[in-house]
Amino acid sequence: MLSLDFLDDVRRMNKRQLYYQVLNFGMIVSSALMIWKGLMVITGSESPIVVVLSMEPAFHRGDLLFLTNRVEDPIRVGEIVVFRIEGREIPIVHRVLKIHEKQNGHIKFLTKGDNNAVDDRGLYKQGQHWLEKKDVVGRARGFVPYIGIVTILMNDYPKFKYAVLFLLGLFVLVHRE
Amino acid sequence: MAAAAVQGGRSGGSGGCSGAGGASNCGTGSGRSGLLDKRQALTILPRLDSSSWAQAVLPPQPPKYLGWQWKIDDKPVKIDKWDGSAVKNSLDDSAKKVLLEKYKYVENFGLIDGRLTICTISCFFAIVALIWDYMHPFPESKPVLALCVISYFVMMGILTIYTSYKEKSIFLVAHRKDPTGMDPDDIWQLSSSLKRFDDKYTLKLTFISGRTKQQREAEFTKSIAKFFDHSGTLVMDAYEPEISRLHDSLAIERKIK
Repeated sequence: MLSLDFLDDVRRMNKRQLYYQVLNFGMIVSSALMIWKGLMVITGSESPIVVVLSMEPAFHRGDLLFLTNRVEDPIRVGEIVVFRIEGREIPIVHRVLKIHEKQNGHIKFLTKGDNNAVDDRGLYKQGQHWLEKKDVVGRARGFVPYIGIVTILMNDYPKFKYAVLFLLGLFVLVHRE
Repeated sequence: MAAAAVQGGRSGGSGGCSGAGGASNCGTGSGRSGLLDKRQALTILPRLDSSSWAQAVLPPQPPKYLGWQWKIDDKPVKIDKWDGSAVKNSLDDSAKKVLLEKYKYVENFGLIDGRLTICTISCFFAIVALIWDYMHPFPESKPVLALCVISYFVMMGILTIYTSYKEKSIFLVAHRKDPTGMDPDDIWQLSSSLKRFDDKYTLKLTFISGRTKQQREAEFTKSIAKFFDHSGTLVMDAYEPEISRLHDSLAIERKIK
């Protein structure tokens, strides 16, 4: 028979204490969420931190990138941008190769990964030859090496992710302060 | 069997130990055992004679099997004795239990409700931000998001100020209703502290008179080893008299005034 001793603390709680345990859990989740949304607002990018899949030798698999997406900053050749192709979910981190700029500021640009032999036209949508500003998620401003490997692991093995989250949640709910 | 007879016959007392006139080290096997055992035996013996007929009148009831219950209020409190916060929480809860059950005071949930409200409002801002961002994808939701994020962190600041200055380390506010119904309630407050990795537990009882609004305090600092046994079970027989003594010292002053 499974001994449920770890639940003893919870069983002795009255309604208010139980509600506070749930609130504690909610506040931890909310703090993480608010920090993420706060970063979104400050940097202007909808995904301010991305994990690089490959752009050797500049970035390695598992590096974490910080992005900004300020409207005032113009995109220049040689900059590393993170963009999303229409219809695809995963953002791509590549370098800008060529830019065509109109008088009114409208630009279209071509990208290529440092480690690829050809430019990205093969990756774009059927019939699309250039990227536009609306496809850009952000521009790389800084990075932290290796930390993203945990995220890659959790995405490759979703059961691991759910198990970790479930255990963390259970621990917070059952443990008192 | 002797213990059951003693308890059947008398109302107070918790077993043979209390019959020995308040010897604090009975049952732990100290060096002075010889004299103590004889005195203990002498005090128990007359009780056995007078209350053995009580045992005949009230046969011992077999324990009822209640099935698996969620609430375990009756089980003795057993915690990991090396976990500081579990020790403090169990001592706090037991002190609360003593005041509420033995002296029949009524708990006032005002402080706790304040904290719960602040936390609920913070979570509400977070949920609003989440839902709004989901309904209106990012660039349009920027002002609402900014508002929610700032409000959330402001509420966190308020919560920190509230727990530090208003709640302090008070975990119980209890009211004693005036029996005549004319004066406002007397308020008893319990607060405690137990430093990290320390064994000295300080419990402070504050009495605020309803009529005169005067405040009186009493506290004790004891090692937690006095209240817990080797397996981590809280021994209420050692803890409860401390609370009662603290309470009575404040109550007696009230009578003198």
